[in-house]
Amino acid sequence: MDEQELLKDIAGREYSEGFVTRIDQEFIPKGLTEKTVRLISEKKGEPQWLLDFRLDAFRKWQKMEAPMWGHLDRLPEIDFQDIIYYAAPVQDADRPTEIDPELEKTFEKLGIPVREREVLAGVKSKREVAVDAVFDSVSVSTTFRKALSEKGIIFCSFGEAVQRHPDLVRKYLATVVPSGDNFYAALNSAVFSDGSFCYIPKGVKCPMDLSSYFRINAAGTGQFERTLIVADEGSSLSYMEGCTAPMRDANQLHAAVVEIIVEKGADVRYSTVQNWYPGDAQGRGGILNLVTKRGLCKEGAHLSWTQVETGSAITWKYPSTILQGDDSSSEFYSVALTNNYQQADTGTKMIHIGRNTRSRIVSKGISAGHSDNSYRGMVRMMPGAAGARNYSQCDSLLLGSNCGAHTFPYIKNQNPTAQVEHEATTSRISEDQLYYCAQRGISAEEAAGLIVGGYAREVLSRLPMEFAVEARKLLSVNLEGAIG
Amino acid sequence: MNRIYIAGIDEIPQHSTLEDNDELKVTIICPPGYNGVVNFGIDILRPGVSLDLAGLYICTRGERQRFNIAVRHLCPGASSRQLFKGVLDRGGNAVFDGLIHVAHGAGQTKAFQENHSLLLDETSSSETHPQLEIYADDVECSHGATIGSLSEEERFYMCSRGIPSEEARHMQILSFLSPVLSRIPEDERLSLMRRFRIL
Repeated sequence: MDEQELLKDIAGREYSEGFVTRIDQEFIPKGLTEKTVRLISEKKGEPQWLLDFRLDAFRKWQKMEAPMWGHLDRLPEIDFQDIIYYAAPVQDADRPTEIDPELEKTFEKLGIPVREREVLAGVKSKREVAVDAVFDSVSVSTTFRKALSEKGIIFCSFGEAVQRHPDLVRKYLATVVPSGDNFYAALNSAVFSDGSFCYIPKGVKCPMDLSSYFRINAAGTGQFERTLIVADEGSSLSYMEGCTAPMRDANQLHAAVVEIIVEKGADVRYSTVQNWYPGDAQGRGGILNLVTKRGLCKEGAHLSWTQVETGSAITWKYPSTILQGDDSSSEFYSVALTNNYQQADTGTKMIHIGRNTRSRIVSKGISAGHSDNSYRGMVRMMPGAAGARNYSQCDSLLLGSNCGAHTFPYIKNQNPTAQVEHEATTSRISEDQLYYCAQRGISAEEAAGLIVGGYAREVLSRLPMEFAVEARKLLSVNLEGAIG
Repeated sequence: MNRIYIAGIDEIPQHSTLEDNDELKVTIICPPGYNGVVNFGIDILRPGVSLDLAGLYICTRGERQRFNIAVRHLCPGASSRQLFKGVLDRGGNAVFDGLIHVAHGAGQTKAFQENHSLLLDETSSSETHPQLEIYADDVECSHGATIGSLSEEERFYMCSRGIPSEEARHMQILSFLSPVLSRIPEDERLSLMRRFRIL
């Protein structure tokens, strides 16, 4: 085995989700023109209003320029004509309603149950989670739909929602992230293929966690999913999102949009564990993760974001909340880990419009190897935000002397009764901590995992249980080779 | 070395280096009536030196003031501290843009930055961008920023003890600014304080 192969082998061990599923897939030709947009819309059998929405977004996108303000000097120039915008597994004619066994195997391998497991009589094994699994451009399965529909909850793929609940989709689509919001949001609005749609009716507490799982499989494709979550008055929901992709030498684009509408008095918790392929140890390949996520809080509503970002070659992501209604509140908890040549520019925006609105930001950055990790956040108090308050805390941890950790907060206050506070610190794992662990027979690498786990605890403890376990594992796996 | 610059009167060095002095103390004052930008950038080049930088701004009657501050640590083992405090009133708008840059290899750096603003009425506004850009692991860096208003509790405490409301307010503002004000020699300070009566 020559050195190249050996390195590949090692890199392969580090990213266990890097396999490719061999399955018949249907592609549309490379390139992006108005024709592509029409073709995607046609493939999905969409109504005219949605095609118009796409075309409008496409025209806006053509006039826009890619944002370059991120602290991301490794973000390559993306050739948008060299991407396949639609890839879908071919459905078997014999079993049109069944999920392909190959696909099922793929998701099982990733630990995602796409089939409702039979629960033994009297024995509740695990907490139930309803999953919407998205494979390249299409949603392949959504579980527990029956149980959910009994409560009036709609949880299905975006494409299906357009067909079956067009009024709801039309009412809420692009109300939080308009089609011309930014370059990548406009691109997504034009070519989005699938994603999840969720509606919780008035006063309903969702009985189980809902989750979307995104998987990129085909080479040369981009994934553009769109998630729309509506929590009607007084309802509550916990939502989780996970993602992985195979290992490839070329970069792949992922430009998603997530919109969350939290109506009066509703409560939504949105958790993400992002583990896209980060590229190899030399910084080749990896996913370019350029996403727009935003929520709108009406009166007394609450939205909580929790994110664990360990994957992707490039991360450009700012989950934001518009606190429009009086007394609404929002939280943002983030752990972002970068290793090797990964670069992340991530943070949040809290826009306070209503009176007595509250927000809290806790961000923990960890950089290792040759990576760069930036927190970029905005807190804005509009003139009407009387009595509003924000507290932000951003900590950075540096492992090794070749990485960078940066903090770029923007704070704007236009109301004298509003209060904004921001704090940031930078530190590293101290010799004392390592020595303490070494004395007790804990290797440097294990110790680093422990210390990082402790450092990120405040955020990890916010995650639903299954996710927290996975996130902790991910952090230590991604730190391999960073210390010692 | 102790340097005091008053914006609009003294020329403030846009680019300077810190190499010869062991300790450099710089105070920048933006008095009311000043409408413009203050640029101050300094490169720290010798291990062991320390920079103590402070600023004060009073921005009123629709004035716009902007600070562009950059402290770059280009050598290991130096330290810097920044403290900027400002008061905004009657349509005043201030922007503080402050950067701490720690270059690759500049280990054992200690760098701290603080920015606090007070909004006195509905028409004033303030913006702050405290930034850290760090490329070395063995460092101690932090920044903090707040934007808020005068405490009602404090004023009540003073008023209930017979201090007129206006005077109490004035004392609150002075005590907020005092960490920077106290750096100015007394005679100069008094003449500046007379100008603060404008508030």
